[in-house]
Amino acid sequence: MERLLKGYVGLVYAFMYLPILVVAVFSFNASDMIAFPLSGFTLDWYAKALSDTRLLTGFGTSLLVAVPTAIAATALGAAAALALTRYRFKRKYLFLALLVVPFFIPRIILAVSHLIVMSEVGLERNLVTVIIAQTLIILPFTVMVIASVLIRLDSRVEEAAADLGATGWQIFRRVQLPLMRNGLIAASFIAFVLSSSEYVLTNFVSGRSQPLSILVASDFRFNLSPALDALAMLIVLFNVAIVVVSEAVRMRSK
Amino acid sequence: MESQKAALTLLVAPVVGVVAVFCLAPLAVLFCYSFFHVEFVEIAKQPSIGNYVKVAESETYRWLIAKAVGTGLSVAAIAGVIGYPVAFFIAKRVVLLKSVFLTALLIPLYTGDLVRIFAWRVVLGAEGVLNSFLLWTGVISEPIQALLFSTTATLIVLTYNYLPFMVLGLWLAFESLDDRLLEAAADLGAGRWATIRRVILPRTTPGLLAGGLMVFILVIGDYLTPQLIGGSSGVTVISAVNDLFGTAFDWPLGSAIAWSLLATMVALIIAAGLLFSRTRLGRSIISGG
Repeated sequence: MERLLKGYVGLVYAFMYLPILVVAVFSFNASDMIAFPLSGFTLDWYAKALSDTRLLTGFGTSLLVAVPTAIAATALGAAAALALTRYRFKRKYLFLALLVVPFFIPRIILAVSHLIVMSEVGLERNLVTVIIAQTLIILPFTVMVIASVLIRLDSRVEEAAADLGATGWQIFRRVQLPLMRNGLIAASFIAFVLSSSEYVLTNFVSGRSQPLSILVASDFRFNLSPALDALAMLIVLFNVAIVVVSEAVRMRSK
Repeated sequence: MESQKAALTLLVAPVVGVVAVFCLAPLAVLFCYSFFHVEFVEIAKQPSIGNYVKVAESETYRWLIAKAVGTGLSVAAIAGVIGYPVAFFIAKRVVLLKSVFLTALLIPLYTGDLVRIFAWRVVLGAEGVLNSFLLWTGVISEPIQALLFSTTATLIVLTYNYLPFMVLGLWLAFESLDDRLLEAAADLGAGRWATIRRVILPRTTPGLLAGGLMVFILVIGDYLTPQLIGGSSGVTVISAVNDLFGTAFDWPLGSAIAWSLLATMVALIIAAGLLFSRTRLGRSIISGG
């Protein structure tokens, strides 16, 4: 029974990684066709993906969105996580519900309501609107990461600081901020990754400047090529590296 | 105490403000728009319930909303069945590498919707990896056309997308399940199935419901997967809203469909909550049993 369970769990994890593995294999396959049998090893597809200037510009635009989004989502997430873990207040559940609502509203519905508001106010679609929309849906993730660090920290340190006469600001600046530093780093990394791979909202509210995800989307609607495999692999490696680093940082905060 | 209160306000206010201004207010504006209508290429702002009558009378829109609910429930059920043993394993059998197992489960999520869907298209397509692999090994002689652009393909990829959320919900429930209860059940002579049915299942039902709720909501909101994997079966209520805001240019009708969907979802969730709270199990959980 135990061995059966282990085998089953292994199968589910294999299922989770199968598509990524397949993309990895074919990004090195020396053939135009994404099909078996394999025909040999090549790095050409990576060279092709990396030399595409259009994609590089798109990557730059993605950074323009992802960095401010990560900062905003982490700052708001830290405030919410502190409130949730360090204070008692009525309607805490209401506050928590409010935090997760944007994530659970279908993205298209959130996007079209932003579209209406922008047209009412007379705003053009631009990257700022993408940043705002993404910050909203990424917020629950940063709150979760920072709260998970705060929960493990001993709140008596803060009580001690208060007993020794520290003001609220001093406690925040000298005690809480250093203690939750790892949480902040981890949260901003996760937010960065989620932002750079988000598509639906970005597509709807971004105007003429097109981030990488939009370019990838239009490419793979029309031409599935192994160069896209290579690009997907680069994105996956980039994202996974950031997530693994951030997890390591988060775990170290004990 | 006063400074405590001020600090709390300082922390809570910006978050509430951002969510209120950039999520709740736009949704309210969307609600207002659902009562307007389009005249030629202008949006006429005389309120009427015409759009909702249209949605209620149209078989297509009713069917699309029902289909969204059906897909959400199916994927939640499939993910529940697949994820249950996995969550049990991570919570009760993994000791040292627990966070590694959880992170490994979440990493595919961080590759982004597009890359995941792209990968599945590569796997499932008619000239794709699975077909060419089966042909190559001689298991089949003709490619299976139905693999991509079908409801089955959509269900597979949706399950793949949202399984981690189900496992997370269940894992939390398994973590709070006291091992001593299982020992007690065994000591009292309960067999494996009796323990599962009478102890483990009831104790983890809240996790199953929480995970199921997340999957249900996220599946209904998923726009890309049915579009890019489902082919002609990929028309969803969400894609209908998208079309009305794009090429079809009927923002008021799109708003009314969006709000009909939101209202249906909220009503279903409340109904499920009420039903659950009336069961003996629900009552015992609410009263802190």
